[in-house]
Amino acid sequence: MISAGPWNRDGKSIRKSIAAGAGAVITETIVTDTLLDVRPRIAYNGTGAQNIRLYSEIQVEGWQREMDIAKSKEGIVIASVWAHTPSELAYLAMKMEKFGADAIELGISSPMGESLEVVASNPERVYEMTREVVRNVKIPVMAKLSQNATNISKVAKAVKSAGGSGVSAINTVRCILGVDIDTMQPTLSTYGGYSGAPIRPLGLASVAAIAQAVDIPIAGIGGIENYRNVLEYIMLGASAVEIGTAVMINGFEKITEIVNDLEKWADEKGIKEVKQIRGTALKNLKSFEEIKIEPVVSRIDTPVCNADCQACVKACIYGAIRKDGNMIVQDSEKCTGCGLCTFVCPDKKFRLDW
Amino acid sequence: MNIKEIAKKAGVSVATVSRVLNHPESVAPDTKERILQVIEESEYTPNWFARGLNFNKTDTIGLLIPNILNPSYMEIAKGVEDVAHQKDYTVLLCNAENTVEKERKYVDSLLKRRVDGIVLVSSLLENEDVEGIKKQDIPVVLIGENKGDVRDVPIVRIDCEGAAYKAVRHLIDIGYKDIAIIYGSTPERENKRKIEGYKQALAEEGITEREEYIQEAANTIEGGYIAAKRLIDLKQRPRAIFTSSDLLAFGAIDAMKDHGIKVPEEIAFVGFDNIRMSNLIDPKLTTVEKPMHKMGVVGARLLFDIIDKEEENTSREILLQSKLKIRKSCGHRERIGEIF
Repeated sequence: MISAGPWNRDGKSIRKSIAAGAGAVITETIVTDTLLDVRPRIAYNGTGAQNIRLYSEIQVEGWQREMDIAKSKEGIVIASVWAHTPSELAYLAMKMEKFGADAIELGISSPMGESLEVVASNPERVYEMTREVVRNVKIPVMAKLSQNATNISKVAKAVKSAGGSGVSAINTVRCILGVDIDTMQPTLSTYGGYSGAPIRPLGLASVAAIAQAVDIPIAGIGGIENYRNVLEYIMLGASAVEIGTAVMINGFEKITEIVNDLEKWADEKGIKEVKQIRGTALKNLKSFEEIKIEPVVSRIDTPVCNADCQACVKACIYGAIRKDGNMIVQDSEKCTGCGLCTFVCPDKKFRLDW
Repeated sequence: MNIKEIAKKAGVSVATVSRVLNHPESVAPDTKERILQVIEESEYTPNWFARGLNFNKTDTIGLLIPNILNPSYMEIAKGVEDVAHQKDYTVLLCNAENTVEKERKYVDSLLKRRVDGIVLVSSLLENEDVEGIKKQDIPVVLIGENKGDVRDVPIVRIDCEGAAYKAVRHLIDIGYKDIAIIYGSTPERENKRKIEGYKQALAEEGITEREEYIQEAANTIEGGYIAAKRLIDLKQRPRAIFTSSDLLAFGAIDAMKDHGIKVPEEIAFVGFDNIRMSNLIDPKLTTVEKPMHKMGVVGARLLFDIIDKEEENTSREILLQSKLKIRKSCGHRERIGEIF
């Protein structure tokens, strides 16, 4: 699915997402009363993006027309809506249902500065919001959750008990991208939402935490850049994924690329349905108590190393690795088996073993 | 140019011209085009009033506001108009000036003009008045609470009591204990709720209510000035004042300036509404942001839902969120509450 954002700002752009291969498209978040967007409002540092307040500039009335265009051919269109009270949110959702939306995503977790607390950190409030919407529409309702919550599984549970059909996780994370130290200017003029590859580990953890605690369909979101990232989310329990920033940076062709790569991978592996792989990594995800401590230490097969990097030596916080000419010398007495050397070596020379 | 002349010029009957205007799908494309061209060339516009009589539809709605001089109602009116404009409707704006007789007269007049619906803002009408409108099959929607106990009408409102509670709570959190309230005599029910919120916040903190700290005033800048003077003259002058509208705060702050009392150093203020000027006065006014434009937008939507027969639930209530806009007049430096 393509996540809520300005790349899905109207009927025409939604059609582009669908034509590029998206299974479903989520509209840019629709609010009761539009405001002019601030300028500038998106910043990017090469890996992650910050945005401030990306809501639809099209009023509810206009979405009737846009939804007609979006739904003019095949494709599933999900309306992203956001409001501050249950009755306001339910009314918006009803409007979108009337206009032809196939489902609703509740944007309850926007981290933008609206002088109001992020609702998604409060399970009771999420319950009230979701329940009021579910009572007023017949189409499925999912809630978009935030990593800015003490316990995301509890919030997902609240969505389920309120009658929600699913959750999506995670929304952007409240951030300040940086500060120009000459002008003392923050990159953007207010707090915003962080997205892109840097938040993927947060998204993966959130999806896994929900999948392990609550039986509810999950759409994984956060930093998906290729088909492998899609599979990571699915293997940690997601039934679907949402992609946003990668489309924003690379264009709609990114959708086609990921879909093609996924199909190719599935063909090679003989995978026919998502459920064959969904949650398959969860069984390898243990609690601390369950992890068996084996006395493994860092090993290499060939000690000769002509690389000039010294990465392993610098990164060995236990002082168990040194370099003698072009030979790597390990001290297995000092090595505690932390495993960092296996990640820092550009040639992947290290492994942990008995 | 009238419809007969158009018909003559286009070489068709009056009925055909009428059909082009009202049921264009029933006219052959060639004929339709020819007639539309004649209409355009002769700059003919149909008589909308007559059209309303025939079709029982005038594409106009009535909007009754309590006081045109209070900018908060203008923001609401803009919200209503924004939606009406998109629906190709015209809004007839009536200024009831806080008098129920004037309001009733305007309602009569709107009904005679066959408006398609009426929006009442913080109205003084009683339930039987509203029932009277509904009996004529004209939908009614309320923005803000009525004085009378009106039932079975869609309404968009805010939680005035909760909002006032938060505002006074904010003053208590800064450290003030001697907190007064200046409330407008209108809109009556909403301001009563604000007094309740004020009292609740004080009670929770064990602060004794003082009768002389609860001042009624006309809901205008002048009203605020006069009520503030009464507070200035008290033996034990309050250290903070919560007002039920920004206009009242403007008047009261003006009175403080005239008496050499520094805001917020000697007396702090929190207003209500967040009209645009509240960000421009000195010191900038801390106030409860009432989503006025949004209330107008939602009110109009609720009305069109009934006009377009899209809504069966005719007593839908939509509660909108207000929030505290922390600026300078409350004497509070920390801004984190404003940002998040």
